Amino acid sequence: MNVAAPEGRPRSVSPVRVVSLAYRAVLRELATRGRIIALTCLALLGTIAGFAFGSSEDAVLDDGIRLISGLGLAGVVPVVALVFGGASIGDLRDDKTLVYLWLRPMDRWPIVVGAALAALTLAAPITMIPLVAAAALTGVGGGLVGATALAAAVGLVCYVGLFTLLGTWLKRYIVWGLAYILIWEGFVAQAGIGVARFAIRRYTRSILIELTDAPGFDADFGPTVSIVVPLVAAVAALGFASWRLGAQDID
Amino acid sequence: MTDLPSPTTPPSPSSPAPLPPPTAAGPLPPSAPPVPLTGMIAVNQASKFFGSVVAVSDVSFAINGGVTALLGPNGAGKSTLFRMMCGLTPPSRGAITVLGANPRTDRAVRGRIALVPQQDALFDHLSARQFVTIAAESHGMPGAAAVAEHALEQVELTDTGDKRVGEFSKGMRQRVKVATALVNDPEVLILDEPLTGLDPVQRRRMIALFHRLGEDGRCVLVSSHVLDEVARLGSRVLVIAQGRLIAQGDYHDLRNLMDDRPHRIRLGVSDTRRFATALVDRGLVMALSLGERHVVIDTLDIDAVGRQLAPLAVELGVRLTEVNPLDDDLESVFRYLVEGR
Repeated sequence: MNVAAPEGRPRSVSPVRVVSLAYRAVLRELATRGRIIALTCLALLGTIAGFAFGSSEDAVLDDGIRLISGLGLAGVVPVVALVFGGASIGDLRDDKTLVYLWLRPMDRWPIVVGAALAALTLAAPITMIPLVAAAALTGVGGGLVGATALAAAVGLVCYVGLFTLLGTWLKRYIVWGLAYILIWEGFVAQAGIGVARFAIRRYTRSILIELTDAPGFDADFGPTVSIVVPLVAAVAALGFASWRLGAQDID
Repeated sequence: MTDLPSPTTPPSPSSPAPLPPPTAAGPLPPSAPPVPLTGMIAVNQASKFFGSVVAVSDVSFAINGGVTALLGPNGAGKSTLFRMMCGLTPPSRGAITVLGANPRTDRAVRGRIALVPQQDALFDHLSARQFVTIAAESHGMPGAAAVAEHALEQVELTDTGDKRVGEFSKGMRQRVKVATALVNDPEVLILDEPLTGLDPVQRRRMIALFHRLGEDGRCVLVSSHVLDEVARLGSRVLVIAQGRLIAQGDYHDLRNLMDDRPHRIRLGVSDTRRFATALVDRGLVMALSLGERHVVIDTLDIDAVGRQLAPLAVELGVRLTEVNPLDDDLESVFRYLVEGR
């Protein structure tokens, strides 16, 4: 029998090609009906809250920021990013399909980038549309809709990068991710500016405040820092995840 | 480690004494420094520890083109050894090279290896055709779709290639895994229990495929814990148990070893004392133990016992209710090779 490929020997695989391959493979694995329905329902809670808030006569910008920041940017965005970002590599490792991408003549970083992009592709519409809708439904104006879109996008990229790393590194990434969201960001990071530097939600909250000029709040960071630092953190997390993927044992 | 004996030199059943690890030039004297083995797959004193658990212990062998069977019971360390050969986990000690390179660190050599993992996991949301095509693309194969089609033909899945892998039976999933292993025209194929779940016809066809791959000069290493499979896989056998390579050589020598070792048989008879006495008088048993309704005998001549049991029972007028070989399995061969009992 001749098992030789009809058109020759294998060639090296370009990083762009690997990103595309990993993206396609991971996207199909992540897009389960149960996940999408559950997370969409979670995100729609923000929309409902925005509608309820906008229905009241005394709705003001500060309260709108509290709603979007507290429910959307601190709850919906990180949880959705955790489920998809953590699972992008974590599920492949747990169900032992990672070997089909790992044992190939290719670099590791495009696999991680492709997986993170797949997570982002699913997480973005599920979070962004309901949150922007929620901001619009509050009816408080002041640029809240645009600020919400930017803050959610920046937060999503950073959380997906961070949780992709978590899924690559740890088996119980959901537990560790929830601990980060609830304990670190929800409790410890409230202690002061020193700790706030290590909490993504403080950056996304700063974006909201800076872009709306809300009178009742002080931003922790300026607009440039609020956008650049989370994006740099995402790139660093994906870089570390790539190293980790190459160094770890594969089942 | 025991080199499997030739039929003319059976090992002492009481002491299958370990020999020095094999080398390309034969056993070395104890004082000589180890000479690294070379081959398409070369495993040199490789060990793997998981905490305090020793999964693989000081294993050395080298293999080249053709089909080689790795035989061992479940938990013997076969899969860990395979994972090390593919670079999926590094050895804790020793070295493993495939095609002269370290598969863990050498990106290029990973394109010349194929692995069929033991686990059943596949991308279940993809069709078989999509899955195999992605495998071909991930190896940088030009014309990935045609390559995938060719691989699916080899495992006879062309007609069902558009069905989702998640809807496949166990045997079909195994064939998909084998198809993905063929897409990069590999020089080394490492197949971890690839016959599991296949029906007899598919099993026969798959074994024929492995032989053709071996005849092409590829190094095909196939693991199994089923002796009958190994009998059909090839003449060269590596036997691993408890993480150690305990024997290597020709399959027929292993078979002879099985036939030559003492066999233990449980016999159910209506009059145990008379029957046991007759067996001893005829020199058919090495040892025996008596129960109320059964006799357990150890014999070196299982064929003679098989021939004479029924006539003897008729002659003595006793009823023979049970003939049950207690050690006619692979585990007993391993026990014999490892512990000499």
